[in-house]
Amino acid sequence: MKQASFKRFTIFFDQYLFIAITLLSVMGLFFLYSASQGNINVVMKQSIFVGFGIFLMFILSQPDPDIYKILSRVFLITSLILVLITILVAKEINGAKRWLDLGVFTLQPSELVKIALPIYLAAYLFEKPIPIDLKNTFKSLLIIAVCFLLIARQPDLGTSLVVSMAGVYILFFAGLSWKFIGSSIIVFLISLPFLWNNFLQPFQQQRILTSLDPSADPFGSGWNITQSKIAIGSGGISGKGFEAGSQSHLDFLPETETDFIFAVIAEEFGFIGVCILLSIYMFIFLRCMYLAFNARDRFCRLTIGGLSLIFASTLFINLAMVTGLIPVVGMPLPFISKGGSSLLSFYIAFGIIISMASHKKLMQR
Amino acid sequence: MIDIEDRFIEKRIFKNRLILIYLFFGFLFSAFIYRTYTLQVYSYSSYESASIKNKTRSILVQPKRGIVYDRNGNILINNVPSYDLIIQPSKIDNISKYLERLNNVILIDQDERDYVLEQFDNKSTYNRELAVKRALSEEEIARFEVRNYLFPEALIDKRYRRESEYPYLFSHVLGFVGAAENETMSEILTTQDKFPGETLFKYANGYLIGKTGIENTYDNSLRGSFGEKIFEVDARGKLLKQIDFIEPTDGLDMFTSLDLEAQKVAFEAMNGRKGAVVVVEIETGSIITYLSSPSFSINQISNGISSVNFEKLIEDKAKPFFDRASQGRYSPASTIKPAIGLYGLQSGIINWDYTIDDPGFFVLPEDQRIYRGWKKGGHGNINLENALIESSNTFFFSLAYQSEIKDLIDHLSNFGFGRNICVDCFNPGKGLLPSPEWKMNNLNFGWFKGDSVNLGVGQGYLSATPVQLAFYSGLLSKKGSLKKLSLINDNVGKETIVLPMTNITSKDWDKIHESMIGVIENPKGTAKRLKNLKSYNIAAKSGTVELVSLDSKEDYELVRQDILKRDHAIMIAFAPMPNPKYAISVVIENAESGGSVAGPVAVKVLNSLIKE
Repeated sequence: MKQASFKRFTIFFDQYLFIAITLLSVMGLFFLYSASQGNINVVMKQSIFVGFGIFLMFILSQPDPDIYKILSRVFLITSLILVLITILVAKEINGAKRWLDLGVFTLQPSELVKIALPIYLAAYLFEKPIPIDLKNTFKSLLIIAVCFLLIARQPDLGTSLVVSMAGVYILFFAGLSWKFIGSSIIVFLISLPFLWNNFLQPFQQQRILTSLDPSADPFGSGWNITQSKIAIGSGGISGKGFEAGSQSHLDFLPETETDFIFAVIAEEFGFIGVCILLSIYMFIFLRCMYLAFNARDRFCRLTIGGLSLIFASTLFINLAMVTGLIPVVGMPLPFISKGGSSLLSFYIAFGIIISMASHKKLMQR
Repeated sequence: MIDIEDRFIEKRIFKNRLILIYLFFGFLFSAFIYRTYTLQVYSYSSYESASIKNKTRSILVQPKRGIVYDRNGNILINNVPSYDLIIQPSKIDNISKYLERLNNVILIDQDERDYVLEQFDNKSTYNRELAVKRALSEEEIARFEVRNYLFPEALIDKRYRRESEYPYLFSHVLGFVGAAENETMSEILTTQDKFPGETLFKYANGYLIGKTGIENTYDNSLRGSFGEKIFEVDARGKLLKQIDFIEPTDGLDMFTSLDLEAQKVAFEAMNGRKGAVVVVEIETGSIITYLSSPSFSINQISNGISSVNFEKLIEDKAKPFFDRASQGRYSPASTIKPAIGLYGLQSGIINWDYTIDDPGFFVLPEDQRIYRGWKKGGHGNINLENALIESSNTFFFSLAYQSEIKDLIDHLSNFGFGRNICVDCFNPGKGLLPSPEWKMNNLNFGWFKGDSVNLGVGQGYLSATPVQLAFYSGLLSKKGSLKKLSLINDNVGKETIVLPMTNITSKDWDKIHESMIGVIENPKGTAKRLKNLKSYNIAAKSGTVELVSLDSKEDYELVRQDILKRDHAIMIAFAPMPNPKYAISVVIENAESGGSVAGPVAVKVLNSLIKE
């Protein structure tokens, strides 16, 4: 009895992740202060999101992972329905229907799919033979395709790609056969020209071409990449100092509060600042990998692996975009870029990760 | 349901895949750190300069041109300010109301209002100044200045015009300024390590460059170098704040050797007649007077002339734009005779006792062709001295006939004929010193003896500019050595031209000078009418340039009906004798008599320079 009551008050918690994420979030507020040119309103709003996010992360880490397993199907279906509703009723902003206005908060349901899909797949594969066989591979891919196409309809190519990646990561951890991976890559490469011509909008094609050679169009779509590289490069080793980045403060840099906030950080805090920031990110990622390896069962392993890879992928897509290695796609810097849904989605993901890592099941061998 | 074996396989697969993911993201991490390192450390300097280039804009600040002085410190060309009313649009919310308010103080007409309204948004966006009204009157300035506390967004700014107090006096020698072409301007800016771009102008007419005269030849030192105001700008190009101001270096003031008083006298004496007056200071070779007549207003040209007025100037038959002093080509006529006489003495063909009988004409032995003198019946038995005083043609026809043509041409070349002897004249002409080669190449004829005979009296193909004639006159006065001519006061290191005449003694020179004094003082002198116009001795030689070759006086009476066919009058002179300080040349087109028309002009100018 005594033990049971003690157990009831146990707080499930991973101090490493908690401290690292809180640290990133707080640093993010300072960066945002500078990136928004000292706009206190923006920072206050973000603070509320951060506070709520950390709270949410804490709450979500308390339930037993089995609850997530049981609810995973409901999560996925609900979030897909929300996406559908968004497509049907949402107002068009910049040619896309991505946001659902909930009065106090505009929700981006595709961000929920990003989390729900890997959890659902992990639960689905929990009872299937491992390594995953061809039948289950196709079934999983079908589910991934449904999610991809729905979100791509909004249209939101960036998010839909990340969502599919999330699904594929789960399959990969579940032992997707190398033959299948290899042949998929070959099929993809062969169909690339077809995809280029039929699925990409002209502006998306332009972005890709520009990222290959930004100087070809320095005042058009190459402007962002060029200015971002100048901002990062001119930061040097130690940076120009807090609030002293001329590229961001004189409006040369676009989207400083969201996609390009890394350029602001790199300009003001230099290579040293970049290394510190990346170390924190890497620490979070490595910690997740460690937790995945030591998770209590397959469901937890796959979920932690999948969710943490989404985190890492988002991070590196953002970094590669800002440094001009890949085309400009809307992708935030996790825990730092200004935002609602995308910011909260990471707190949710890490809440679930911590839940899965901290609930140990006594094995009944 | 899941046995231990499965669990083991599953964990192994997961572990392997996890290691792959580790490696993959480890690789991404390193690649990204390397990428950032490349940007921030390896290529830092280029990105840093790109960032500085991004956020700074430099605006050129025009320097003022140097002031031009005469040799006594009188200002010949100056920068005269005019005052413009300037507003700063970025500080003004409602421009229409603002103009209303300004209008109460300074009247702003509809054109000015329209211009301001049209330019306002643009200037406001980029934080630039805007001129509301130009060239304010003194009253307007005063009205504004007492109320300027009401208009903190407006100010009165100086703009300069390039002006001379004597716009017609020095037209050709000082020259005028004008707008520089973009290409020229970028070349000039490149030499000053600047790039063409937005400029704060000190002159109402923008970029100025010397187009002619001293303004052109000394443009390099007169123009000064551009300063720079460096501003911080945002991505839209709006000026945010001034970071640095490198002051422009104004052009250097120029102290010319010109003499305002003498120039005035020459200008008045010429009285708009076509011709030129050039005076040289013998000691230094400096040009004291440089007048080409008629002239034009350099102020008009420098500060914007209407196209109608410009057309008028261009089409004027008297060709006021034409610089007769440097570009006009006139036969030296009889003024060449002292040089020919010196040739005779140098080559030993004649001496001071040598005489010929002058019947009034010379018969060329080859073809019996007759070359006439100016006096019917001739000058009788005549030596070199009298031949100079009375200007006997026959004497010099005969002397030139006996000359070795190549030696004679070399001899004349030493006097500056056929070459440039001015170091800083604008576009100096060389006149023409003919030679057998020249004649063969240009006219496809061989050299006749008759050509030599014509050369002996300064007619035929030979021509010289008034500047060359002044140099020649100076060379005679200084007994065969003279510094090259120049327009600046400081002429240290100027080349001196020395006549290579080993057989000519100082005594010979004295006799030449005496003969030339005789031109005025001797009762038989061709310019004896000048005798009472001055109180000191002048050595001179007059000349009358025949534009049409004729056989008799009667024929000339017919020809002179056409003013433009009348003879040119020429005079060279130097004074005061026996220690001359100034040498002069005067040419007056279609004035017929060197001695009596060009002469008085020369004497007036010399009088103004030589005050007891």
